[in-house]
Amino acid sequence: MLECEGLSKSFEKNLFKDLNLNLKSGEIIAIVGPSGCGKTTLLRCICGLETLDSGTIKLGGIDITDTRAEERGIGMIFQKPVLYPHLSVSGNLSLASKFGHDKALEEVSLSGFGSRAIDKLSGGEGQRIALARALLANPKVLLLDEPFSAIDSELSKKLISDVRDVLKKRKCPSILVTHNKEEAELFSDRIVNLSSHSKSNHSL
Amino acid sequence: MRKVTSILAVTLYATIILLPLYLALQRLVWVTGFSPFEWIDSLNNNYISQGVIEFTVIQAIFSTVFTLLIGIPIAWTLGRYKWPFESFIRTILTMPFVIPSIIAAMGILTIVGHQGLNLRTNESTWWWTLIVSHAWFNMALVIRFCEPVLSTLDPELEEQLRLLPNGQSRFSRLRNLWLPLLTPSIIAAACMTFVFSFTSFALVRWITVGNNTLESMMADVSSSAGIKGYMESTSKIVMGASVIQFSILLFSLWITSVIQRKRQAKLPQSSPLHSQKKNSRGWLILIPAIGFALLPLISVGIGSFRIRESIDDEIRFRWGLEGWYLAFEGSYSFPPLIDAMLNSLGYAIITLFVALPLGYLLASTIHDLENKNKRMARVLDIFTMLPFALSAAMIGLGVLLGIIKLDVSSAYNFWPLPSLAHIMLTTPFVVRIILPTIRSLDDKYDENARVLGIKKFKRFFKIKLPLIKGSIIIATIFTLAMSLGEFGASFIVARNSDWTTLPLLIDSWRAKPMKDPLTSPASNAVATVLMLITMALFIFAERFRTNRDGGMF
Repeated sequence: MLECEGLSKSFEKNLFKDLNLNLKSGEIIAIVGPSGCGKTTLLRCICGLETLDSGTIKLGGIDITDTRAEERGIGMIFQKPVLYPHLSVSGNLSLASKFGHDKALEEVSLSGFGSRAIDKLSGGEGQRIALARALLANPKVLLLDEPFSAIDSELSKKLISDVRDVLKKRKCPSILVTHNKEEAELFSDRIVNLSSHSKSNHSL
Repeated sequence: MRKVTSILAVTLYATIILLPLYLALQRLVWVTGFSPFEWIDSLNNNYISQGVIEFTVIQAIFSTVFTLLIGIPIAWTLGRYKWPFESFIRTILTMPFVIPSIIAAMGILTIVGHQGLNLRTNESTWWWTLIVSHAWFNMALVIRFCEPVLSTLDPELEEQLRLLPNGQSRFSRLRNLWLPLLTPSIIAAACMTFVFSFTSFALVRWITVGNNTLESMMADVSSSAGIKGYMESTSKIVMGASVIQFSILLFSLWITSVIQRKRQAKLPQSSPLHSQKKNSRGWLILIPAIGFALLPLISVGIGSFRIRESIDDEIRFRWGLEGWYLAFEGSYSFPPLIDAMLNSLGYAIITLFVALPLGYLLASTIHDLENKNKRMARVLDIFTMLPFALSAAMIGLGVLLGIIKLDVSSAYNFWPLPSLAHIMLTTPFVVRIILPTIRSLDDKYDENARVLGIKKFKRFFKIKLPLIKGSIIIATIFTLAMSLGEFGASFIVARNSDWTTLPLLIDSWRAKPMKDPLTSPASNAVATVLMLITMALFIFAERFRTNRDGGMF
């Protein structure tokens, strides 16, 4: 489904070099590693928000390395839910699709939240809305950049299991980035450690 | 695409704003030769400019000190305590600064002139009238700079200090907390007050008896400047005045910007929601302050109905609408009020249509460069601030000498020309208003929209524009109000009577001999119309202003 070959990226230091990553259809993987090892940058390169120093990314066999982020069909959920404060929940969902809001909200257990203002949502609710919006855009792959880290542990366990269920039901291949191994185990089918592979020429 | 629009914006800015100034400078150097010391020296040798530097500097220093003396207690009272209708009081107290200076001049003249207390009888009276007028005009600066520091400071900082040995007395708290916090704001406000008093034109023109600041002198001699072989001495004094004015403004603005940066870094986290105490004794400061702020404005309105008549050497006043009728009808020499208003609105709209998009594109370009090439960003930032170091008269001279005198007959038939000066004056303000908002926008908003597959055009209209809407509205209102009230540059540029704007019409009516009993009421009637338009615009803008913008208008 998603094939990354020979990915390299450095800023002031080498973050990753000649990195290979494959994601099968419907598979959920978690990438773990300490802060600053390049997890977030890897996701940003995959979705097109950062450019790679070298390497190729293929999605469904098509080379998307030079395709702009908005045209790749890859969704991403950020660490803190990025919801637009000038729009209601429904307005935020409309940015992904004008239709299917009720179903999307039901999927993330927030039925009836459509007219709610963004500043009235809790952290967990905000992340669920961000997920609903990302899924409404029908991404071919969904990237999750530590979306559960800002939520307290009891709530996050419930959210992790809910999000995993939704993704599995939709057969949406996903990559979760986290520094929390327990979270990774709960969420993913496969765990890879970026720090132990990040020097050079490794496959994840 | 973004690169193309950025290059286009910078090129347009250089062409519209810097090219006329360059051409004007080139013309003046062609007439006078390049001799900066001779230019400055000529100010003392020419009878027109003798004593002007001393007058400009001394009145600016006195005005600054007096403004601080009345502004700081008002800012303290307003910021430290809780007041009913607080935002309304703040709007009234800061209104003088946003009112065009020609209206301020008319209001103060109505109080102290023949129509009112008739105080302008000797030199010391008008000297102090000028100082008080500058204080009236600039006290809003002190309030806007100092009041947010006082009103949003976490009260626990003071409470903690009260429990410490060095904070038990009011004086020690003032010394250890308030003074260190307020000093940068006070210095920044003082610098800006000095700049505005130094470049004062309308107030000096109407309140003093023939005295000039460098600014008003430049405006007076502008028509004979830049002509080879004709009164070349005026070109020299214009150059001398410009060099001094540019250096002083640049220095003051540099100090203000350094202090503002330090001030932002030093300010502790704000807590706008903390409950403040009431202080009924504070009304002893606020009520006179409100009266002081409103009096000249009310006087403009009242003065438009008050007609001074001299019958058998006896002066009498009566109430009537003749001033308004005359202002609306016009006279042989002056256009009707509606014509001037249409001109003003026309110039304001042209200014808005150029300055707002140009300012936005420049602000976006600076922000983009800040992420990619910090040095280039800094260069462009300074480049866009350059017109701040030029006064309205210098901008007017730029258009007159750099554009109009290239082809006088064609230029005098080109009605939109005064808006060029307005664009030069307002574009830097648009950049300054929009840039902080663009800087404060979280990049994640755009990134998230991109991964949702939203295209650039839609991202701009659906996400970016609504998020920066407040600053766009403030910039729009500011541009309109600045253009509508602009006097100094228009006075120099608008030499065709068909180009008369509201401020120029006020000036023209007032310049008529006072023997005509309707001179003053007619000028006040036009001033009232302009004042009401400006007030409406700024009361609307106040809704979008944040509490900690510290000096932004």
